[in-house]
Amino acid sequence: MSEAIAAIKDWVIKGKKNEAVAATRAALAAGVDPGAIMKDGLIAAMSVVGQKYSSGEFFLPQMMIAARAMTEVVPVLKPHLVGKAAESKGKAVIGTVQGDFHDIGKNIVRMMMEGAGYEVIDLGVDVTADKFVEAVRKETPQFVLMSALITLTMESMRRTIAAIDAAGLRSSVRIGVGGAPLTHKYAEEIGADFYSEDAYECVQACNRLVH
Amino acid sequence: MKPRERVLTALKRGQPDKVPWIENDIEEEMQVRIMGGRTDYTPGELCRALGLDGFGYHFPSGQRASDGQSIQTTGKTGKEAWYYPQRITFDFVPPWIAEMGTDPSNGRTYVKQGLLTGRESLELFDRFLPDPDHPARYEKVAEWIEKYREDFAVFARIRLGGASTFESMGLDAFSIMMYDDPDLVKEIHRRFSEWSARVVQHLNKMDFDFIWANDDHADTKMPWVSIEMWEEFMKPYQMMVAREIKKPWIFHSDGNLFPLLDGLITLGMNGIHPVQPSAMDINRLKEQYGDRLCIVGNIDLDYTLPRGTEAEVEAEVRDRIEKVGKGGGYMISSGNSITDYCKLENVWAMSRAINAYRTYR
Repeated sequence: MSEAIAAIKDWVIKGKKNEAVAATRAALAAGVDPGAIMKDGLIAAMSVVGQKYSSGEFFLPQMMIAARAMTEVVPVLKPHLVGKAAESKGKAVIGTVQGDFHDIGKNIVRMMMEGAGYEVIDLGVDVTADKFVEAVRKETPQFVLMSALITLTMESMRRTIAAIDAAGLRSSVRIGVGGAPLTHKYAEEIGADFYSEDAYECVQACNRLVH
Repeated sequence: MKPRERVLTALKRGQPDKVPWIENDIEEEMQVRIMGGRTDYTPGELCRALGLDGFGYHFPSGQRASDGQSIQTTGKTGKEAWYYPQRITFDFVPPWIAEMGTDPSNGRTYVKQGLLTGRESLELFDRFLPDPDHPARYEKVAEWIEKYREDFAVFARIRLGGASTFESMGLDAFSIMMYDDPDLVKEIHRRFSEWSARVVQHLNKMDFDFIWANDDHADTKMPWVSIEMWEEFMKPYQMMVAREIKKPWIFHSDGNLFPLLDGLITLGMNGIHPVQPSAMDINRLKEQYGDRLCIVGNIDLDYTLPRGTEAEVEAEVRDRIEKVGKGGGYMISSGNSITDYCKLENVWAMSRAINAYRTYR
């Protein structure tokens, strides 16, 4: 990795948006490959941030400012990306299931997925099974990611998976679930493809499945 | 021992005659189901039905606590709704300064979006925060305490200001502003805490037995901020409230508090709640902090109470009483509150098991 890319990566990890943008502009002007900046600078930085968050070294504010730094750099970089580098890694539809209005966990996953290079369609909170089905039809994502914080609403996940199945769309998506009351066992029982304990694990699971 | 004495003994980490049972909240719909559909019962009747040792929160013949937090959505009534509660409540929490939503299925309100996102939004404090010295609410609640207290422990719920800051800013804005405008985060926390400190001065003069400060700081995995951030951005203001509390008090936060606990404990609380089983190992908590804190909670609300069997509820209750109750300093309670999505038969199973195993021999 070039020094320029290492610097961009470092600024993003530290959440220094102005420095990250300046370093990106300088790298582009110096002819550094934009695809490499995206992959080895930005996505690699957010992977480090995810690991640090997962291990308890980073907390929410550090993750938020790192994600913001990345968000500021992307528009600078995007016009220079061509071919495969310009494509997202995949698309995910995400939402907190029907009856549940908690969005902290869902937002963290969205942020980490975007940081990892995925396009994320966020359906918000209290998302009905029908809304998920509609979004799968319209967006043709690789992943459907569902979040629930309270036990009562976990059953909405089961209903959503059944609705996606009934709509004939089940084989087109991989479904991941997460949230405080969830377990691997429950995810299996309702027919989800994977359960993730935290946002970083969710990104890792998607990365494994997308390859 | 009378229930009140039982609770106060445990809060001082002593061993009462029986392990006390206390809940931070029992949702109104569940209260009514427990009482066989009645809505005209007194708090004491509910306590006797289950074997609870105390009460606070709110009752179906009283204004819902959530209304107190969402007064900005009630338009004209606003602060008046806080000053003049029409139905029984023992809550003294400030409103969220946030755009609120309502779950149409049960009318429960929730924070859609915090409104304190910049310096210009500070004016919202004047618009939405009631006068903490207005006598009406205190007078009305004092009447209810006198009327309903019997021999039970009665508590008031407050906030130290942490949850108010997180929710009224939104975690995104809170996080970003910690770096972009740290003084704004501190100012918002200070204003909420200053309000609560003033409220506590009034509560000290009332006949409450203890205070319960509800301030979520964490999710099941970890706290939202590091201990260093907490010490810089939150502790000074939370200490403003803690210093004013002249009664025993319990600190409540969901999630895994272990990374913050050495800091939090300096606030001087007597008890810690709810020790969510998916987030914290209660045996570790007892071992490491049992000599400094009364432990309250831990009957699982993620699985056991809403989805488990009566036998599983009984086994969990028995285990906690035997292991954590040993030597005192423990009050049994759900790992948050008795919500309306718990199985009614499991609430009764919890009651039967507590009453069967709670006596110290």
